[in-house]
Amino acid sequence: MEVSLFIPALFTGLFCYLGAIESPWLFGMSGGFYIVGRPLVAGLLVGLAFGNIQAGVMCGLAVQTVFIANLSTGGATNSEITYAAYGGIGLALATTQNPAIAVTLSVLLGQTFGLIFYNTRMALYSFWNNRAQQAAENGNSRGIVLNHLIYPQITTFLIRAVPIFLAIYYGANLVDWLLKNVPQVITHIISVLGGVLPALGIAMLMNIVIKSRIQFIFFFFGFVLLAFTEISMIALVFISALIAYLYFVANNKVAASNVPATNTNSGNTANEVFEDEDLF
Amino acid sequence: MDKQTEKPRLTKKELRQIWYRWGFTHLSSMSYEKLQAHAWAFSYLPFVEKYYKNAPDAKKRLLVRHSMFYNTEPQTGQIINGIVASMEEEIALGKDVPEELPINIKATLMGPLAGIGDSLIQGIIVPVLLSIAMGMATNGNPIGPIFYILAYGILGPLISYLSFFNGYRLGLNAIDNIIGDNVKRITDAFNVLGIMVVGGLAAGNIILNSQLEIPMGESIKPLQEVLDGIFPKILPLCMVLLAWWLISVKQMTATTVILILTAITSVGVVIGLF
Repeated sequence: MEVSLFIPALFTGLFCYLGAIESPWLFGMSGGFYIVGRPLVAGLLVGLAFGNIQAGVMCGLAVQTVFIANLSTGGATNSEITYAAYGGIGLALATTQNPAIAVTLSVLLGQTFGLIFYNTRMALYSFWNNRAQQAAENGNSRGIVLNHLIYPQITTFLIRAVPIFLAIYYGANLVDWLLKNVPQVITHIISVLGGVLPALGIAMLMNIVIKSRIQFIFFFFGFVLLAFTEISMIALVFISALIAYLYFVANNKVAASNVPATNTNSGNTANEVFEDEDLF
Repeated sequence: MDKQTEKPRLTKKELRQIWYRWGFTHLSSMSYEKLQAHAWAFSYLPFVEKYYKNAPDAKKRLLVRHSMFYNTEPQTGQIINGIVASMEEEIALGKDVPEELPINIKATLMGPLAGIGDSLIQGIIVPVLLSIAMGMATNGNPIGPIFYILAYGILGPLISYLSFFNGYRLGLNAIDNIIGDNVKRITDAFNVLGIMVVGGLAAGNIILNSQLEIPMGESIKPLQEVLDGIFPKILPLCMVLLAWWLISVKQMTATTVILILTAITSVGVVIGLF
């Protein structure tokens, strides 16, 4: 078992590094954080590493639901999604391959070790930032490359790939033992909790997109459409696009018939937009 | 300074270099103090080689003004990189542009663009693509994640590229386009789309059913059946509204809300409600 776990654990650690928010290799956030860092994609990649794509994608799907609205604004994050995805899905695939277990492990790892390592890394980077600043003041191009790219990335690699590899390689037995000895009521709580936790991410998204209370009407409309008619998400996107277009047209009419009011409007824009800085 | 007036403009290739150097490394040395600051200096390294090879002081000034705290949404935010690139080019060519202007532009625009970009990318595009992909991935079908990889793999860099080159082309005029009235109306409309999608996400992704059985007249019926008859998924709706209230009105942190949700779930399971 130990030998067969070595290679998958190694790859999972590597992917965890590539999917990190600060990893540059896959066109920055675009290919890293937003693609490899998403639990759904992590499920596929870890599934490939463990040679069980179907179980991987099932775990990825379950974990993705909880982290559907993972946010990172101004470096602050609500949960460390990459440690959560790769640690949780990796450990689940190394043990029971049960999606509910993957969710629990992900939330635990993301909220504890993930956030600790994340903040440690942010602090360590201040050291490299100082040196990059000095390099700029001395006009030293090589110093900028080293202290902006090379040294920080070595730091990140050590602090992401290594712990995840160790957690899967040495943690699998521990998780196995725990799962066999946990009372049934706890496993029931865990599986119910897996269904409830997406509420948190979605609530955080609502906090970003809903700017005035009256807009709750759109939220309820989307909710009710899906809950009562069980249409698919794709259909909902198109219906929403129509509503959004009508809203745009109506808004334009108001603006056109009401030209003197535009100035106050643009004042509001600036205020509203700047309010978003509170998120940092 | 005399020599610089004869220097050539930036070629398309050099512009692309500024674009992708930022595109790859925007967060590669992020700390809470500086965030994306040094990626600017890094993206201008070929630029200083071209224009300031024999002017070490001007080179230092450029690198220092592009090592200051900076933070925005890095993909849509490329529009600022484009605007600044057009200015730095003017400065290097010896035109009448003050060197403080790029600093002011960056400081003024990073806030508004973070607001627009975050709600567009994190609030709409990523969740919508993910929920489509999740629908395709049921039963462990790899086509779901593959669809997402392709879709965002094209869309993300495309947004970044278009933002950069439009910013460069429009220069200062782009600012009207970013904080002007018309854009406000478009982003408002996108926002409506986003809110409806988030409503759909809530209905589709939160799962909570009651296990309780209640007496209905003569017979005993599961509570969930009664609830479904009145308002399907009413329990998930209550949960998400509670979570929203805790975060938005009570200003709680995510960790606190997780603990509260865990407590509610545990008590509910123990008393047999869930």
